[in-house]
Amino acid sequence: MLTKHAYSRLGETVYQTTLENGLKVILIPKADFHKTFAVMTTNYGAIDNEFVPRGQQQAVRFPDGIAHFLEHKLFEKEDHDAFDLFGQYGASANAFTSFTQTSYLFSTTNHVRENLDILLDFVQEPYFTAATVNKEKGIIGQEIQMYDDDPGWQSYFGMIGQLYPREPLHIDIAGTVESIAQITADDLYAAYQTFYHPSNMSLVIVGQLEPETVLAWITANQARKTFGPNEPIQRVASPQTPAAEIVPQTTRHLTVTRPKVSIGLRGYDEVPAGRAGLRYSAAVSLALDLLFNDTGDHYLRLYDANIIDDSFGYDFQVQRGAHFAQLAGDTDHPETFVSELTAILDDAAAQLVAAQEQFDLVKREAIGRLIGAINSVEAIANQYDGPLFGGTTIFDELTILEQLTFADVQQALAAFLAASQRTVYTILP
Amino acid sequence: MHVRIRDGVTLDLLPTKKFKTIGIKVDFVAPLQATAITARALLAQVLETSTAEYPTQTALARQLSRLYGASFGISVVKLGTKHVIRLTCSVVDEQYLAQYQDTMPLFERGMALLQAVLFAPLLPNGNFDPTTFTQQRQNLLTAIKSLDDDKQYLANRRLQELLFTGQPAQAMSALGDVTTLGELTANDILATYHEMLAHDAVHVAVIGDVSEKRVTTALAAWPLAERLEPTTEPYYRWTARSQVQAGDDEAPVVQAKLNLAYQLPIYRSDADFLPAVVFNAAFGGTPLSLLFTNVREKASLAYYASSDYNPFTGALTVQTGIQAQNQERVIAIVTEQLQALQAGKLSTELLAEVKASLLNARLASLDSPQRQLTGALNSGLTHLQEPLTHWQEKLAQVTVADVQRVAQQVSLQATYCLHGKETGDANETRV
Repeated sequence: MLTKHAYSRLGETVYQTTLENGLKVILIPKADFHKTFAVMTTNYGAIDNEFVPRGQQQAVRFPDGIAHFLEHKLFEKEDHDAFDLFGQYGASANAFTSFTQTSYLFSTTNHVRENLDILLDFVQEPYFTAATVNKEKGIIGQEIQMYDDDPGWQSYFGMIGQLYPREPLHIDIAGTVESIAQITADDLYAAYQTFYHPSNMSLVIVGQLEPETVLAWITANQARKTFGPNEPIQRVASPQTPAAEIVPQTTRHLTVTRPKVSIGLRGYDEVPAGRAGLRYSAAVSLALDLLFNDTGDHYLRLYDANIIDDSFGYDFQVQRGAHFAQLAGDTDHPETFVSELTAILDDAAAQLVAAQEQFDLVKREAIGRLIGAINSVEAIANQYDGPLFGGTTIFDELTILEQLTFADVQQALAAFLAASQRTVYTILP
Repeated sequence: MHVRIRDGVTLDLLPTKKFKTIGIKVDFVAPLQATAITARALLAQVLETSTAEYPTQTALARQLSRLYGASFGISVVKLGTKHVIRLTCSVVDEQYLAQYQDTMPLFERGMALLQAVLFAPLLPNGNFDPTTFTQQRQNLLTAIKSLDDDKQYLANRRLQELLFTGQPAQAMSALGDVTTLGELTANDILATYHEMLAHDAVHVAVIGDVSEKRVTTALAAWPLAERLEPTTEPYYRWTARSQVQAGDDEAPVVQAKLNLAYQLPIYRSDADFLPAVVFNAAFGGTPLSLLFTNVREKASLAYYASSDYNPFTGALTVQTGIQAQNQERVIAIVTEQLQALQAGKLSTELLAEVKASLLNARLASLDSPQRQLTGALNSGLTHLQEPLTHWQEKLAQVTVADVQRVAQQVSLQATYCLHGKETGDANETRV
């Protein structure tokens, strides 16, 4: 029962279906590729730390970093480690946790079915004990400390912490050494039972594959397992920091060679649901390109005045429940960096009009970059956004981008900025 | 398809319809000399900034946007006894664009852009533009200094300096050193530029849906004279020391970075090259490896523990991120793993797994245009053109005894640790 959507100009086809147990399956064959890349994702990430565990009545607050901890522990079973099973076939496996999702993946050039069974089985058959949970605390403790030594990460998280001081978004994805010390095997089971039901998950496979055959393999695997009924997930809504409470600026000292400045803008406007959300996101990104990228007049002026250099960058992110923009870079003139960039933001509508003749250029660039990304099976799979924008793929994003007009971009940026709150996070040597 | 355009200039064409882009790579290869590394790095940076036709970064960036977000960059790479200035450009294949009206296809546009960058740089009054020069020298200076903010990079840099004490070209990073950089003038890099165009071996590689005729036609417009074919091999051969060099530095880090360097005097053209690759994969080169399993998974001593093998310098390095007080334990475990392999203690399961993983990686690299383009230079320098099936057969034949023979040639040369102020306080310093 695969539905088929062909993107004829690109020569690509997306096959999808939802299994009886609720698992969404997306299959994208890539002719002539050797690799098959599969990623299984649950709509559960670092920010989901307070919820009603499946089968219970009361909401429970779990220790920070539990989603990431669970990700690590899912690989380890009673008598083996899933990594080793993939290893038998030479496949490479990995996993990652973001604010709102946890993903498990493998990449292989042979034995696709065997690897697929390993993926589905290790993700769907949890095994947690006090002993294995405690052992993991040392490894994750080292991982947390590794990020402590990364000034780029500190700058990014410093900015987020300023924008979302009350929301769980401000907490490091891995938690802290103290918070993970509290995690128990029972906590992991509670989180697992709540969020790893197939109906809260998707499986995206891209590369060398035959869709009907692969679907049959998945269906056969799922038929061997029983899952409870699909019940709605009850997350406790996170507290919201009122706009007035956001601290406009903070400075911190770290051992860096040059100051690092990060300007964050938190959107308080409503991101439209479904595809329109992706459209909004693409439009704001294009607006930032027009204002700040290296084809613009401001870039050259600030570059020549040594206010910005090649380390300068910006991006716009939409997550479940949060969206924000970041402008960041290393600079010897942190104050001017901030005043110049905020001046552009304060005058954004007029600045956008002034840059209108570059619109065709920045749009071309965005289109070309996206088409280039279709070379990568990983990029195609990771671009699938799950429930965030109604299940759109990289190919839909391209269609949306091609249709964007200058007026769309103006409108989206105006909506974002009008209800946005700004912060500046500076790291000084 | 490997074509000799003229003496010292070669083309590798990798025709395929599986990608949405056409990738171009041009390598200028010179002997690695300590005195030239920095100037070449700065030259790369200046050439990347502008051309006579596109005299500002903005003008160049706009041209790239016009070409539908063509990616373009110049980087520098150290490869054994060679220093490489690498230009890359990737353009979309216009058959995938909704509307492309230009009469000249994007591949030819991309080649024209590279031609402008290489042969018509911004040279008002016959020399590099002073403002651009000064600015890019400053940018490179800060870029080199900022690299040290990455503590893993810094620990690896210090280890290389320790390993290659008294061998400045090998000790130096591909970007050069800040002291030399501060003294470079526009005249210096102008001389470097002419030297590069006249004498460097040139390796061009192109991948995508494009014919040989289109590539050679575009290349014919480039004023590249014939040049002497390089006679020296790309391998750096050196004498191992009997004494291990040990170094450490204090830095405000929470996690200590402990790195080790060994000599593994087996090079890419040697008969034991493939066994050496298998050895590294079993030792620390993959997540299945002994280092990953024993340092991270079993002893919980590190978040990362891995090894790297450089078949152009005959150096093997180990990187770990640990708590400083565990340094001796970690060194002991790493040493045990090496000794195990030297004693031939490698399970047939692990051997089969690392081989499967190397085969997977090799096949997967065929799905990456960038990796295929860089692979073309390796074959060009080593004169090894090995068909995949041949490589696969050789891999299958590697035995435990082969790995053991390789492991026995590994000798510890240097250890380096970058650590915080005091040991033992790591847990309290979380901020």
